[in-house]
Amino acid sequence: MIIRIEPDSDIPIYEQISNQIVEGIARGLIQPGDSLPSVRAFAADLGINMHTVNKSYHLLEKKGIITIVPKSGAIISSPLDFNEISFGRLKAVYKPLIAESLVVGMSKEQIHELISSIIQDIKKRN
Amino acid sequence: MTLAIFLFISIILLGIQTAIPFLVKRTIIFGITVPEKHIKNEQLLSYKKRYTLLVSLLSLVVLAGYVIWVLGTNPGEEPTVLVGTLIQFGIILFSLSLYFFFHGKTVQLKRKNNWMENLKQVKVSDLSVRSQDEMIPWYLFLLPMIVTVGVIGYTVFQYDLLPEQIPTHWGINGEADAFTEKTPMSAILMPLTLLAMQVMFLGIHIGKNKSGIKLSATGTNASRIRQLTLRKYSSWLMFGVSFLLTVLFSYFQFTTIHPDLFAGTAMVAAPMIFLAVTLASTIAFAVKVGRSDKHPVDETEEAINRLRRRFILERRSLLFQPK
Repeated sequence: MIIRIEPDSDIPIYEQISNQIVEGIARGLIQPGDSLPSVRAFAADLGINMHTVNKSYHLLEKKGIITIVPKSGAIISSPLDFNEISFGRLKAVYKPLIAESLVVGMSKEQIHELISSIIQDIKKRN
Repeated sequence: MTLAIFLFISIILLGIQTAIPFLVKRTIIFGITVPEKHIKNEQLLSYKKRYTLLVSLLSLVVLAGYVIWVLGTNPGEEPTVLVGTLIQFGIILFSLSLYFFFHGKTVQLKRKNNWMENLKQVKVSDLSVRSQDEMIPWYLFLLPMIVTVGVIGYTVFQYDLLPEQIPTHWGINGEADAFTEKTPMSAILMPLTLLAMQVMFLGIHIGKNKSGIKLSATGTNASRIRQLTLRKYSSWLMFGVSFLLTVLFSYFQFTTIHPDLFAGTAMVAAPMIFLAVTLASTIAFAVKVGRSDKHPVDETEEAINRLRRRFILERRSLLFQPK
């Protein structure tokens, strides 16, 4: 799976990496059980700082998307049972976004449509 | 003879200097990064041609003058060497200053045409590229080292058999032609040198393994193939040369201990075989890596064509939509 980083973007690099890995899993480009390259190798390949990759891996680990096994590297976790904790965390992330959408004048239907079109986009390009 | 040597070196030097703009990375022209779609720019191509033409013409004229001068007036050894050396430095200095001249020209051209405008810098990597990496494992490089340690041990063990004069230099025919006095140090100096070289090869290998596999954002596939090929075959080459050096040095050490060991066998040709095999494998390596990314269709072009086709299809479907 190809990772594409824009150093001049407003989104921090570590977030770009974790976003793309999450999207790659959602699209099925990388499967649970696959391992991610080592922090050192990945940082060298992208030409970025090791700590940036490390931060991104730890972010993913915190979300339960990967497990970091000392010495053997980072492995994509098998799909988790959707639980209270993820629900609460995702709700907190969605909330300001949905509030913003309402403020800029999107209707409830438009928000629903946007969400289903994004899901479709992810599932389609599988 | 002196003339021939200087001429030979100058011509190799000249060859490298004239080919410089065509040997380096395609997107770096006279030290300036140029976006991939502009590298065929006519102005840039003419800069390269002018550089090559100027360097080769002037150098050839000077070299021809040198040859005529030496052959015509027979100035003797020292002036020939002096002028020959000056000419070599002259070629280097001239091509360097010309390089910087065109470097400046390219900077101006890049600025004038705003090549970097509307371009976004992206960095690309492939999550699976490391698992496709086929460099040989580093511990293989320990094998020749073990052999070397064995050779040192054997030398210490057979110290009494060693001649009073330890060879330090060999001619191309494999015959020793320079000697030093026998001491415990000079007896194992050659295998020690070999060990140092093997450590160096291991170091290069580890450094290469840790270096990034840099992919080009516009030609991801081609650059991946090239990088992987380069890594794989450079590790093979490193190991091969390390192995050959071990054979060659051990051969010399053993002939020092037992002068008649290899007499009359094909091993006498070892130095020549070593040279030929090393040269051949280096050429094979260069060709293999050089050709690795030439085969696949140019991806950028392919991607553009795909977009174009899709656009045409969509327009067509719009035209033929039933009312």
